[in-house]
Amino acid sequence: MISVDDKLKEIGKYIPQPDDDMLVCRCEEVTKGEIRQAVHAGMFTIEEIRRFLRCGMGLCQGQTCGKLVKGIVARELKVSPAELEPAVSRAPMRPMEMEILGRDGGDK
Amino acid sequence: MKRYDLIVIGAGPAGLSAAIEAAKCGMKPVVFDENAKPGGQLFKQIHKFFGSKEHRAKIRGFKIGDDLLKEAEEYGVEVVLNATVIGLYPEKEVTVKIGDEVKHFKGDAILAATGASENMVTFKGWTKPGVIGAGAAQTMMNLHHVMPGQRVLMLGTGNVGLVVSYQLLQAGCEVAALVDAAPRVGGYGVHASKVSRCGVPFYLSHTIMEAEGDEYVTGVTIAEVDDKFQFIPGTEKHFDVDTICVAVGLSPMSQLLAQAGCKMLDTPGGYIPECDEFGQTSIDGIFAAGDVSSIEEASSAMIEGRIAGVSIAAAAGYLTEEERKEQCGALESALGSLRKGMFAPENRGKILKETEEGIEISTNLLAKGYVAEDEITRYPGFVKKAGVHPVMECTQNIPCNPCQDACPKGCITIGENITSLPVVDVEKDCIGCGMCVASCSGQAIFLIDEEYEEGYASVTMPYEFLPLPEKGDTGTALDRSGKEVCLAEVVSVKSAKAFDHTNLLTIKVPKDMADKARFFQR
Amino acid sequence: MGRIAEHPILGKAPEKDTVTFIFDGKEMEGKEGEPIAAALKAAGVMVHRYTKKKHEPRGIFCAIGRCTDCVMIVDGQPNVRTCITPLKEGMKVQTQYGVTAKEEGKGAGL
Repeated sequence: MISVDDKLKEIGKYIPQPDDDMLVCRCEEVTKGEIRQAVHAGMFTIEEIRRFLRCGMGLCQGQTCGKLVKGIVARELKVSPAELEPAVSRAPMRPMEMEILGRDGGDK
Repeated sequence: MKRYDLIVIGAGPAGLSAAIEAAKCGMKPVVFDENAKPGGQLFKQIHKFFGSKEHRAKIRGFKIGDDLLKEAEEYGVEVVLNATVIGLYPEKEVTVKIGDEVKHFKGDAILAATGASENMVTFKGWTKPGVIGAGAAQTMMNLHHVMPGQRVLMLGTGNVGLVVSYQLLQAGCEVAALVDAAPRVGGYGVHASKVSRCGVPFYLSHTIMEAEGDEYVTGVTIAEVDDKFQFIPGTEKHFDVDTICVAVGLSPMSQLLAQAGCKMLDTPGGYIPECDEFGQTSIDGIFAAGDVSSIEEASSAMIEGRIAGVSIAAAAGYLTEEERKEQCGALESALGSLRKGMFAPENRGKILKETEEGIEISTNLLAKGYVAEDEITRYPGFVKKAGVHPVMECTQNIPCNPCQDACPKGCITIGENITSLPVVDVEKDCIGCGMCVASCSGQAIFLIDEEYEEGYASVTMPYEFLPLPEKGDTGTALDRSGKEVCLAEVVSVKSAKAFDHTNLLTIKVPKDMADKARFFQR
Repeated sequence: MGRIAEHPILGKAPEKDTVTFIFDGKEMEGKEGEPIAAALKAAGVMVHRYTKKKHEPRGIFCAIGRCTDCVMIVDGQPNVRTCITPLKEGMKVQTQYGVTAKEEGKGAGL
């Protein structure tokens, strides 16, 4: 797994690629280029990138793009995707109305 | 808070099977499913399943689904639909959205059988309307009776891509091409062959460059890729299509298990919980079964579910250790036989050169989707003899054997090893009943009679399309690649309940076409 | 596109009542209880919505309620997954722009 020390790793300069404008996260409309730039800005974990760009935080909750984002980040860092910690799984696992979630009184 | 003996998440093949086994032992399980109907993806599977009798081979997926629902009802399994599990906690508590409320439940045991989601690849224009998952195509045509498109291009030659392509043809859609970036067909050769002989071209080592169209898909351009998956300039091919189907694998939907804190493994097959042989995760009492723990066929998911159900019942004291061992033992051997052969989990990613029998693999099948004429003769199912006899174009070791039981005359042998290639015994007298043809889930058996008439041979093939040709119809015979080879006349069309919608179509072709003609086109 | 009246394996499509619904002000027909998306597909409608940021068209993608690409405004409520929402007589279905129904919002950075 990526540790804090890895932040010092030299991954080279961000060089634009012809398909940088390709949408990766369909829900939040985040492109490959944005994800690559975020890695080069020092965000080496899926968690950081997700919070920064919101990819995987839209209505589908990363169902479609989760694996794609991981692949792009891994390629930028020149590691295998398995070396990257996946995004944290949190409830609610499916999109739902705040009104309903807010009424959840817990164990009653 | 309401408490249950067992809470099952997901009413698909694995979840329902587990709940049924637990209920059989006297437990009172509940199954939550976010969908409006139970059965998971089983009701979209309209093809005949592989395996042997104990795996319910040659029965179509949706029929297995029907039976599973009946069994669940019989044992009083409570299935709650439109109930979305939104959280799973290590204390074996789940939060479920039901209607406008979030409800909390506790289980003595919890089984996650949440299945899988479809993988995707990106290409220019992949977000356009008209680019859909292969599962979406199945849902539209097989559940809702609506055509997903008129003219479709399929990306992916795994079993899903192949099976869905065939189903698209059955639904009356045109399949423009099957495309895969890999240099070899990923799924069963028999699935590829039945699509190929209908005239669908395969483009291996090709992938999509761009989905075209302003508001929605009106065309697609594919191109060849090199061994580093980079496009080779000048190899572009364009197709006018309204739909692009993507079938590039599945990933386990294991988020709930990860949230609960189960120990997870990042494998090439996806992010999966670490489970013991009974499906228990690292958290005592939380189990996983089916695609969520590793992507396999629905037949395997059902057995895995049953093993988990039995184990959960035993852990709760509903079965003695002896009873558990006996029941699990039988289930494990059934599961073991499904995991044999060329497509076994241990062979994933390997390039096999020959069959278990030591016969060279058909390279044409892997590269183009059909066995070449000069390759087919080396397999034990391909025989020549006087009079009508089966010709079995089954060339890969897959766990499947209904054909040997189908023949009333004992012409076909697979033997003890379920993955062995079928052997045709030329000494036994084939009566031309066609039971073998209809029993083959891979539609790989033909009846050939080279002495049908002076100068003419007859070829009987499985036929699952509408409109069904009639005796006397004339048309064209296509070879294994879908190429037109000669004129053909329909001399017999047989449909029987025992054939389960696989009609037997017999065509008359010139004698020298007996080994070539494999499909009929009006 | 169109419907599959008779299928070689599944037989004739189950008989369902025909209902009328309104899609972007136009009257359309579908089968009662089928997903809204199936009725639109059968009628040849491909675009369900335009995205918020880039105003790009989207339609059916997963068809089982997971990807949320097919969301539309149904009876005034936005973000309704049309692939799993049953069609009813008189339903008002509108193309969704960002998260609203206003077409003039297109390009205005909703």
